[in-house]
Amino acid sequence: MFDLLLWVWIILGGILIGAGVHFIPVGGAPAAMSQATGVGTGTTMLAAASGLTGLIGAGTAYYTHPGDFAYTIVLGGLSAALMISVLGFIANVMYVYGAGVPLASAKVKYDPISKWRQDLYVSRGTEGHGTPMASFISGIIGAFLAGAGGALVYFALVETYKAIPGFSATFGGYPAPYYVSLAAAFAIGIFFLNCVMASYNIGGTIEGFHDPKFKRIPKSIAASLVVSAVGGLFALLISVMLPGGI
Amino acid sequence: MVELGALTLVGAAALIAGVAEDLESDVGSQSNPNSQVQLAPQMGYLHRLYNKAISGEPASYPFYAAIGAATALSVLSVTGNDSLIGVFFALVAGAFVTALIHGVYATTSYMGRLASQSRFGQPIYLDVLRTHTPVLMAHGFVANFSVLLLTWVLIAQHLSPFPFVVLAFIWGIALGGVGSAVGDVHLGTDRYYQDRPYGSGVNAAHSGSVVRKAESGLRNSIDCAWFCSKFGGPLTGLGFGLVVYLHFWKEVVVKDWWSAVAGIIIVMIFVIMNTYLERYSRQRYGTYKEEIEAE
Amino acid sequence: MVIGVIGALVGIYLANYLNSATGTAWFSFIAALGAILAVYYGADAVRRVASYGLGTGVPSIAMLSIGAGQIAVLLGLAVAKNYGVEVAGPVIVLILAAIIGLVNGVMARRVIKMSITVLEMSMTEIAMAASLLILGFSTAIAGSFKFNPIMSYVVASGFIIAVFIVGGMAMFHPFNACLGPDERQTRTLHLALATGFIAMLVAGIAAGAINGVQAAVPTLIVAIAGWVIYYLRFYADTKQDAAAMLSTGLIPLEEEVA
Repeated sequence: MFDLLLWVWIILGGILIGAGVHFIPVGGAPAAMSQATGVGTGTTMLAAASGLTGLIGAGTAYYTHPGDFAYTIVLGGLSAALMISVLGFIANVMYVYGAGVPLASAKVKYDPISKWRQDLYVSRGTEGHGTPMASFISGIIGAFLAGAGGALVYFALVETYKAIPGFSATFGGYPAPYYVSLAAAFAIGIFFLNCVMASYNIGGTIEGFHDPKFKRIPKSIAASLVVSAVGGLFALLISVMLPGGI
Repeated sequence: MVELGALTLVGAAALIAGVAEDLESDVGSQSNPNSQVQLAPQMGYLHRLYNKAISGEPASYPFYAAIGAATALSVLSVTGNDSLIGVFFALVAGAFVTALIHGVYATTSYMGRLASQSRFGQPIYLDVLRTHTPVLMAHGFVANFSVLLLTWVLIAQHLSPFPFVVLAFIWGIALGGVGSAVGDVHLGTDRYYQDRPYGSGVNAAHSGSVVRKAESGLRNSIDCAWFCSKFGGPLTGLGFGLVVYLHFWKEVVVKDWWSAVAGIIIVMIFVIMNTYLERYSRQRYGTYKEEIEAE
Repeated sequence: MVIGVIGALVGIYLANYLNSATGTAWFSFIAALGAILAVYYGADAVRRVASYGLGTGVPSIAMLSIGAGQIAVLLGLAVAKNYGVEVAGPVIVLILAAIIGLVNGVMARRVIKMSITVLEMSMTEIAMAASLLILGFSTAIAGSFKFNPIMSYVVASGFIIAVFIVGGMAMFHPFNACLGPDERQTRTLHLALATGFIAMLVAGIAAGAINGVQAAVPTLIVAIAGWVIYYLRFYADTKQDAAAMLSTGLIPLEEEVA
């Protein structure tokens, strides 16, 4: 049956994913040449990488504690935050020892969190390099939000599909029941939907919450709300359409 | 205890996957530094580097992982997944079929991109195609097999409820993300601009002027993979290995809500390490400009 | 557009009804051929919208549409099953995909204010192509387009994610691989058909797991033959378009380039 609360969880999850993308510091292609601050990947793909690692965490958490809402969400967010902190740290090791540059951003004079001077440490002709303290913390927050959002979507979908008769069957000799497979596939789909919308909003690179582009976040929240509502509605209607099960 | 042993195998497979992934993306010049290789003919710098543009690593590694997993599942449906050797050979078959498809996509990308730059006079070198494609297929095979192996062990140990293909897909994206963030910097900042002084980012005015003449002869992408195997490759392996290992370590060693506490502690340890690293880099390297100049 | 949509639907229906009429799975490959027409249509739509400059790269729009498309596929088939009109399943899928594509396009254009004029239409088209692509390859794997087989064989095993990424890659790789100032539509679309046949190859391998030799062998033979034909055409196009295709050589000097 159609549960309104689960629809609200999917919409909230979508909004958190879109918001989380704005916190994660991304330097894009220039970051690989040490020309921009942030991690050197595309916005969409880095958020997808960390958020989907959070989805794995949420999946394992739900598997060991079925139905436990708080545990699933927290562990989903933490798994994503862990991934981004390892990734950011190892990337910084590469910048310091491999490229020989200090970590600095060209967009602010003093780092908002560590209060260290930034502009003197930026090499000429670049917009900064590495992931300094504020961007790093911002990335951890962003990944936590994206992971928690993904976990919310997954939780809502699994709760809905578990109730359909016949969905506890598995394929072949493998342990994954139907409802986990369907929920995971749809969670990945809704993830990409929100990540790409948020990256269209950012339009390139962002350094975290201290970046001027961060003020665009309300537009992303509105777009994520509508897109997740429609996507979530379609996903939840499947359980309404199958009262007799499979 | 069995789980911790299996987890160590998973971590080791992840480390190998990371190294092979970075070296493969260096031979193919994929993802971020490829923008410089793409720009070079336009600025008048013709080159003999590979130009593989299969959408960037975080999108192409899930592609390989999903094909490999689907093929492995198909082989296993015929042979049955009871025996360990049967599973092993199914994973090898999956990685092999994926390597062939990977090679095809790489050649279409090289030919397609260079043919679309014909107005700058960039020729297509068939010997670059012939020598580089098998190398990147081989590295891709190793990386893909490692991802499939680690996914299989995770599912067999009941550490994750997801289906095989879905879990392989997600670890593929994570591998691509780590490889793109860590390994590409060594290639882009160090190797492609080796004639510039070490210790500074690449000046935007120098974009496109990649190094085209090597230690002996003309630079090709296999040389770049040799260089990056000294630092970039192993560091990427360390990164991805840590991501996978710590992700499940906190759930295997401690249970329930203590896993969340362990996760928070690990994140804080990395934040503290990053602070020390940042301070070290500032003290050791110093500033680029003096204070008076900056006013 | 017409070839893409009508061709894909014809392929899907033919495969399903020939399979159920003969009680075998020999005709699954026809659905995959229909899906390749959907790939052709999708790659053309991606090419049209990406020429405007998307800012985040070509893969993103295809990933978004395929993520939305797979939800539309499963809901469409579930609706068809619920109301007893299983025969109209693919058409319902198409309508739902168009709805979700239009919502995405309107949000991207009006709320996020991306300045591409054809964005709503293009996102609708790409979502429709993506959903037909997923439905076509899933039918080729499962043998029919009814909800039960698709759920039990394609989603439960995880093959839907393989179709997701291989199909998505087949849609955006052609334009991404031919990116540059001298990009030509014919060459890009030949590459689209070649990558479509590779996707059919993967679907054939997966079909072998479900329906055995009957589904796998025709699909694999047609896929390899089709791939060889279109890859050789792409190679001939490249030879014609490139500045030079050299067996080996040094970098040309300034004087030689002009």
